Amino acid sequence: MEAAVDFAQSPTECTTISLSAPIWQDVLAQAMTGELLAAMNYTSLSEVCDDPAEVAEALEHAQNERGHAAAFAAEGRRIGVNVASNVDAKHWKRLRGAFLGCIAERDFIGCLIVQEIMLESFAVASYSRVGKVAPGSLGETFARIAAEEEEHIEHALAFLRTERARDAQRFDDKLHRLHLEVMTILAQMLAKECKDGHCEVCQTSCVKPSLFEVRLSAAELRGASLQQYLKTLDMLGIPGEVSLSWVAQLPV
Amino acid sequence: MTSLDFALIGHPESWRAAADVLAFLRGPELTPLPDDEVRDILPWIPPRTVCHVDAGSPIAGATARGLYIDSFIPPDRLEAANLRENIARVRAAAASAIHSGAKIVSLGGFSSILIEGNFDQLPERRDTVFTTGNTLTVAFIVQGIRKMCALEGRNLRNETLLIVGATGDVGSGCARCLAPLVKRVLICARNVERLRRLAAELQADGVQVEVATDVEQFSAEAGIVICAASMASPALLLGGLAPHAIVCDAGYPKNLSPGADMPGARVFFGGLGQITGGLRFAPDLRGILNRHPFPNVVHGCLLEGIALALEGRFEPFSQGRGSITPERVAEIESIAARHGIYLAPLYNAQGPVEAGRESGRLACSRRGVSPGGGSCQQQG
Ligand SMILES: NC(=O)C1=CN([C@@H]2O[C@H](COP(=O)(O)OP(=O)(O)OC[C@H]3O[C@@H](n4cnc5c(N)ncnc54)[C@H](OP(=O)(O)O)[C@@H]3O)[C@@H](O)[C@H]2O)C=CC1
Ligand SMILES: [Fe+2]
Ligand SMILES: [Fe+2]
Repeated sequence: MEAAVDFAQSPTECTTISLSAPIWQDVLAQAMTGELLAAMNYTSLSEVCDDPAEVAEALEHAQNERGHAAAFAAEGRRIGVNVASNVDAKHWKRLRGAFLGCIAERDFIGCLIVQEIMLESFAVASYSRVGKVAPGSLGETFARIAAEEEEHIEHALAFLRTERARDAQRFDDKLHRLHLEVMTILAQMLAKECKDGHCEVCQTSCVKPSLFEVRLSAAELRGASLQQYLKTLDMLGIPGEVSLSWVAQLPV
Repeated sequence: MTSLDFALIGHPESWRAAADVLAFLRGPELTPLPDDEVRDILPWIPPRTVCHVDAGSPIAGATARGLYIDSFIPPDRLEAANLRENIARVRAAAASAIHSGAKIVSLGGFSSILIEGNFDQLPERRDTVFTTGNTLTVAFIVQGIRKMCALEGRNLRNETLLIVGATGDVGSGCARCLAPLVKRVLICARNVERLRRLAAELQADGVQVEVATDVEQFSAEAGIVICAASMASPALLLGGLAPHAIVCDAGYPKNLSPGADMPGARVFFGGLGQITGGLRFAPDLRGILNRHPFPNVVHGCLLEGIALALEGRFEPFSQGRGSITPERVAEIESIAARHGIYLAPLYNAQGPVEAGRESGRLACSRRGVSPGGGSCQQQG
């Protein structure tokens, strides 16, 4: 595919991007899907909040996530590709299902664990990696959004730590149950190779084998995501040996 | 935060060792991770506690409670090129030990090498002290040499001793302990200035010393070899070694290349001790974290922290570089022995080296220190 490019970019940047545009298109599609899913999750969360301040906060959060999705779409346009999201793609749909399970139980803590501890760990880590290698404004956008997502995590962590202090055993049981459900899906999504068919987000074939062309790799994105997740669990106060065995048991 | 007596900081000695730990943590129902996945995942694991370790002492049934913390430095990234990242890992492991409330922390193997035994490089702490554990390592290396000589009917007095990595903390400690007991000492490392300084120190005590940066220059002359170089991977060949030489590989990871051709040599892995009061691991990584053909065997550097914890001596017993003396070695030896910590039975890649010569694992390990006393006494 021949990509039209933004003339504000330097000539070398143009060539690099036009050659790799189909790869960035898929990377952007995955990111945009994640953002739209986050927006949907926060909207759902607003519906189960009792406190009007919490409702407002969840809605604002949803709005921010839509903003991120729009920023990714705009980056696509800049490099001349159409970024198509698919929140019904198989892994993303299951992730949404897990979140809706918490909503059905009006489990506010569960919702925060799924969205902020698990999904955002993955977003922060993978966006940061992409931000380091993607050229120009594409890289800047990924890096900026990674930093914003990291702030969400910190905000949620403070709240979750207080919650864990109330009853660590109960909290950890819930966390482990959600880990088994959500992190298993994420681990399948992040596997080095997609063994169980098309992810339904990438345009044609799976982008993973081509990532090396833009100095990325599926193994690196998975590794960075797991690392971020482990660090987040450390900040929550989960013993290192416990989180290590959880992660060791994930599918590859 | 519950208070702990000790923490042990280590790093995976090989990819196999790392894979086995992950396979254990996955549990029997899940298939072990394929090797390529282990290599892809391990480098991303932040330093963390892997298991709880309780150590028993024969004294009034005392026990010490501790943790094993792994820095997860990938076994193929120990080289100097990764120094910054590896120091960051040691610091993070140390922070985790401090946070756990451990009173004393042993910095195993490369953990102390990376910071050159300088604890100022570690995070701030109030009630936690660190030790490199190298004094007890030296004690066990020296005891192992003496034991092997006894097994082989050799007299140290008549032997030429070669130390590879002689200017290091462990190597120089071994040199100080053994030089007065042997006929001649050959010291080897890459930096010739440091070799000359050590040679001058030993010569001042009347020892006959020669230095070389090329080990091959010496290997044919040595009857006893201690390998204590901080080599990132087992690459030492010791070509042209004298037949029947006694070789102690004290590296963590090992120094000797699996391809080293040493016909007739009597090789053993040195610096290892055995704790007769037993170790309890939770989860039960016994024999997986400490991969030796005998139970309750651990690297001397890690055992030093346990011995000091059992003794209630929470002090930085070993620190810095190049200051291990025979007196300090004798002191840690007697502390360790008081708590049932002795030289481990000798073994090498093929298995126990004493099979058929002695029976009873604990009996032979105790013998490592008793007859002839500690490692630094003159041989009778
Ligand atoms: N068995 C056990 O229980 C323990 C084992 N150890 C192991 O002992 C070894 C030494 O540790 P430590 O004394 O603390 O380390 P140091 O860094 O203090 O010393 C390392 C020594 O090895 C030399 N050296 C490094 N690379 C080479 C090489 N390629 N060829 C020849 N000499 C070399 C260095 O000198 P130069 O740079 O001039 O070459 C120096 O003399 C390590 O493998 C360590 O992990 C440590 C503690 C416990
Ligand atoms: Fe977002
Ligand atoms: Fe977010």
